[in-house]
Amino acid sequence: MLICTVTLLSFYGLIAFNGQGADLELLSDSYFHSILIFSIKQALLSALISTVLAWPIARAIYYYPNLLFKRAFLSLALLCFVLPTLVLITGFVSLLGRSGIITPLLGPDWNLYGLHGILLAHVYMNLPFAIRAFHAQLQNIPASSWMLASQLKLSGWQKIFLIEWPVLRANFNLTFGFIFILCFNSFAVVLALGGGPQSTTLEVAIYQALKYDFNIGEALTLAWSQLLIAGTFFVLLYRSNSVSWLSKDTRGDYQLPCSSSWQKIRYGLLYSCTLIFMLTPLLALLPGVFAADYSRSIIGNILEALSLTLVLGIICASVAIALAYAIMLPIRQSILQGKTRKTLVLQWLANHSLIAPAMVLSVGLYILFLPLIDLDSVGMIFVVILNIMMVLPFAIQQIRARLLQYDSDYAVLSQSLKLSTRQKLSIEWHYSKSVFFSTFALVIMLAMGDVAIFSIFGSDQLKTLPWLIYQYAGSYKINEASLASAVLLLLYATLLFNLERAKQHA
Amino acid sequence: MLEINQLNIQLGHHSLNYHRQIPTSAIVTLQGVSGVGKSSLLLTIAGFIKAQSGSILWHGKDISQLEVEQRPVAMLFQENNLFEHISVLQNVRLGLVNISDQEIQSSAEQLQIEDQLHKMPAQLSGGQRQRVGILRTLLRPEPLLLLDEPFAELDHQTREITADWVADMARSNHKTLILVTHQQEDVEKLATQNWLL
Repeated sequence: MLICTVTLLSFYGLIAFNGQGADLELLSDSYFHSILIFSIKQALLSALISTVLAWPIARAIYYYPNLLFKRAFLSLALLCFVLPTLVLITGFVSLLGRSGIITPLLGPDWNLYGLHGILLAHVYMNLPFAIRAFHAQLQNIPASSWMLASQLKLSGWQKIFLIEWPVLRANFNLTFGFIFILCFNSFAVVLALGGGPQSTTLEVAIYQALKYDFNIGEALTLAWSQLLIAGTFFVLLYRSNSVSWLSKDTRGDYQLPCSSSWQKIRYGLLYSCTLIFMLTPLLALLPGVFAADYSRSIIGNILEALSLTLVLGIICASVAIALAYAIMLPIRQSILQGKTRKTLVLQWLANHSLIAPAMVLSVGLYILFLPLIDLDSVGMIFVVILNIMMVLPFAIQQIRARLLQYDSDYAVLSQSLKLSTRQKLSIEWHYSKSVFFSTFALVIMLAMGDVAIFSIFGSDQLKTLPWLIYQYAGSYKINEASLASAVLLLLYATLLFNLERAKQHA
Repeated sequence: MLEINQLNIQLGHHSLNYHRQIPTSAIVTLQGVSGVGKSSLLLTIAGFIKAQSGSILWHGKDISQLEVEQRPVAMLFQENNLFEHISVLQNVRLGLVNISDQEIQSSAEQLQIEDQLHKMPAQLSGGQRQRVGILRTLLRPEPLLLLDEPFAELDHQTREITADWVADMARSNHKTLILVTHQQEDVEKLATQNWLL
């Protein structure tokens, strides 16, 4: 109810701000068309490059399981996906920006800002996600399939088309669609690396219309366009299953076809290049960290922003997990009772906030409350509420499988033993606590990395660490941005380490 | 007295009908070919399957409309009787009222599973798991016990020991026991009534 109310209020803001409607003339403006085309183009290209490249890399990891640091590689892949975009952008700027470490090698025409930079950052974040998704899927190939393939003496291509592709096919489309939506809704990357009006997406244009031009009519038109496109794609995607990319590593007794020495060399090379690609922007932070100004004010700013980020993250993650559990109760009940339609409605309500991008919801609430309250003084409350809404579907998705598995294995036994509520909760907690811990770590990372919501409701007095990084980078203090990024990176790496550990015990 | 009156269960396209009275403290064995509805009858008495029509009376009171938790029934399923993520002893304690660890230990000794109590269920063999389930079901306070193929995974010697213990416990505590079995020796050893479906 609470979550639906926030969405409804936001939509009310989008529909009925003081009678001033959306600026429909904008729809026939060439500025709008160029933004729309660029938004779709960059999202399509990012999704295509990420998924096409991920397949051979996932195969390399799968067919050559003894690769050095493979587990660390998969953890790093997860880190790249959840890493706050501004950390990554700082790394890319240090590496490939105007005075970047390897910029002199790229010739005088090189420019990080624009489509190049956006694609690079999007592929950096999403390629590892796709690798993990495909690798997890390949691991589902039963040993018996490989035994049969060996016995039938299938060729390499036959194995790909008869065994690999059928397993990957559904996941391939899904991963492509998911990355498309993520990139279409991408904010911080385009804001920082867009480099001008010719490389602007709807999301950034909304922010600029609202915060710089204060053109509410334009912001409304852009927000509705964003919602329509992202929402349609999401609904299409939601009809399929979810992408399994955080699932437990199901290594074990699968019997893989033998790889030749050449294949092993090829797999090893592909793996090493990907590892270097993932590590370089992070290592590029180091020179900036060493050269940063360690004055009391800079350290104070970073620590202050870090504390705020942590507090925000902990509040959002705790509330989101509690809400996710509460939301799952009626869903589980209706599944146990075999009420399919009710289950679908409840699940849709639980995940509905995925349809509306953070920026769209933020704009709705901002416009609604702007004439009513002083948003500068209570903006942080909105930051918390909207962040909870944004991470809630992820929290639900993470705990859902484990709770439903529990019900499927033990609901009848639990009922038969006539356990008290306390006993039920205690047994359920023992069963699912590792998933709750890993979900907490994931959700806190997602909440702490937010920039879009903060850009609308945040204030200059209270800054989160990602926003501070953005401000340092925006005022060309790249060394300080590197230092702040390194602090955030360290925090994420620690959380990720705990997440992976919890997952191993799940 | 347990009275099963004109009970009709619909399973897919199959319609199953039951009508029978079972005196208190009786031990009834249920026999019949696979698929005839032995387990379904137990699940209906326990409340997991809703009957299409008819009633189930326990001491004259209709229990067929009651929730699982409100029925005077303790049931042992064919499988999945243990939570895999808690210890065997913790599993046994669930559903028990006023039973000390000493009593659990002593019963476990009789069933030859006293050394298994502090292990996790995954460390037990199929027969040991089954005896843990039997131990808990027989120690539960409910007066009506339903056991679905309780001795299926036991070797001949363990089967005899376990069957004796089940019969002793049921008789000394005045429990009414209905158990599904395919073995004639279980019928001869335990049953006061045999019900052939």
